[in-house]
Amino acid sequence: MRNTLSILCVTLAFGLALYFGGIAAGPYWQLVALNLAMWIALTQSWSLFSGLTGYVSLGHVVAYGLGAYTMVILFREWPVWVLIPIGGAVAGLFALIVALPVLRVRGPYFVILTFGLAELVKFVLLAVETALGQSSRLMFGAPGAQTLLAWMVALAALATLLRHFVGVSVFGRGLIAIREDETAAETIGIPISRYKALAFALSAVIPGMVGAVMALRSTYFEVLQVFSPTISFTIVTMAIIGGAGDARGPVLGALFLVALSEILRGVSPQLYLIFLGISLIGFVLFAPNGLTGLLRRKTS
Amino acid sequence: MLDSLLSAQLLFAAAVLGSIYALVGLGLNLVYGTMRLLNIAHGDILMIGAFSAYWWFTLTGLSPLIALPLVAAIGAGLGLALYFGLFRRQLAQGLPPAAIEARSLLLFFGVSVVLQNVVAFFFSSTPRAYRHLDEVVRIGDLAMTGNRIAALVVAVTLLAGMLVFLNRSLFGIEIRALIQHREAARVVGINVDRVQMVAIALGFAAAAIAGALLSMTEQTSPFMGFRFTIAAFVVIILGGLGNIRGGIIAGMLLAVIEIYAVTIFSAEARSILIYGAFVAALLIRPQGLIGFGKRG
Repeated sequence: MRNTLSILCVTLAFGLALYFGGIAAGPYWQLVALNLAMWIALTQSWSLFSGLTGYVSLGHVVAYGLGAYTMVILFREWPVWVLIPIGGAVAGLFALIVALPVLRVRGPYFVILTFGLAELVKFVLLAVETALGQSSRLMFGAPGAQTLLAWMVALAALATLLRHFVGVSVFGRGLIAIREDETAAETIGIPISRYKALAFALSAVIPGMVGAVMALRSTYFEVLQVFSPTISFTIVTMAIIGGAGDARGPVLGALFLVALSEILRGVSPQLYLIFLGISLIGFVLFAPNGLTGLLRRKTS
Repeated sequence: MLDSLLSAQLLFAAAVLGSIYALVGLGLNLVYGTMRLLNIAHGDILMIGAFSAYWWFTLTGLSPLIALPLVAAIGAGLGLALYFGLFRRQLAQGLPPAAIEARSLLLFFGVSVVLQNVVAFFFSSTPRAYRHLDEVVRIGDLAMTGNRIAALVVAVTLLAGMLVFLNRSLFGIEIRALIQHREAARVVGINVDRVQMVAIALGFAAAAIAGALLSMTEQTSPFMGFRFTIAAFVVIILGGLGNIRGGIIAGMLLAVIEIYAVTIFSAEARSILIYGAFVAALLIRPQGLIGFGKRG
């Protein structure tokens, strides 16, 4: 119970610090805060499914992209605050539909399958947009940067709490059991198919909402950019670097890569990606439990 | 319509692309088959080969075909560097295949990002091309450029050579033994470490040569590799793990699908069909590549 309270307090304090700190530090840092909140929200959601079940998804950009696409095509029809949850619902629904065939595939084949599926969705949507004669779409009259930051920080906090509370629930224990030994989990009566599908869908909802907010932020939509596989890769890299053990990992991983990006992107975007790749290799080889693993080793 | 679809022109285009796919798939087959390393940087090795050929031609003005041994050596050197730097110790630990696959996937992902961006950093990401052997040779209705003929001839020769090497030579048989059963291969006295070294060197060299051949006919860019990584996976999923002949047939099949899709529909259909084939292949064989391993 005390644990629950402290998680709530830390999340709230961190969220408020990110929001007010971002606003106080001026427009540039406000953008950095928005990015940080976005990556935390995405990586926590990824960790909810992939961290707990061990099914590494390399296609999480689909949820993000579908949320953004929903926002862009319905922007003029409905108010924004309705479209953000709808974006999440569309992403969740899509995940639920593909869950049944996709989640039968295990291990590394699941990883390359999710990647292939994400690329397939990207190219199908690209063909649809080309057929509609839309090479890119613009949005006018999106809410201001402060409002977007508030929403994004709220999504990051929501994703963190969701990740934490699912992790300690009966449902979460079931997912961990699936990760450790799927056959054994099934034998002791865990409804593995339903659990996996539910976690898969749940982990797509917040990224869908994040995508919808980010569409408002860029006010510009192009399929290749929004469905870029780099987004999925960055999420996985953040999770590995942070460590997927608990809700702290994604926050640390996002902080690490956002800081790296701030330092190096100004010099050259390629340099940032080179260091991203080297960090990933280094962590996989020498610290497979990520930054949280290193912290735990130090404290114990 | 039917006339143009059965034209020798399209079949020739498919044969050129198919032989490249088969060569790329063969390389992945060797690396995955012997070590269970999921090399998602395979297409980036092809990109390195393409860049090497481009610079060779630009700097010396000599045909990239002369530089093929050099390109192969660059590929093999890269393979050996990664083998000794990243994988040798992990493989010697005797981890279960699933753990090696998962870890190698992440490591190769890191390698892929590094390779792409190092090349982009030094040479910019602008696509490059050069003109070499581009005079047209006509046989009846069939018009072929010299570089495509050269690519086809080299790729087919190498594939045939590899087939003979793997089926006839003692070393080739050792590689196949390792693909079929790692522990049994060790028990009968095969030097596993040495076979792995040769397999990764050969696999990477094949990918680099495929890249050099491709650079004569297509644009070269740091991010060109993705498509070929995917194609290589489709080839070994469809053709069968360790099944070299199956891989060649699968490579040709994929190229036929692709060439006809572009002709009948549009250029966008290419990516949809490649990824569609990829997703379908994995969904139909959810146990993955291993299920095919037992087929000769």
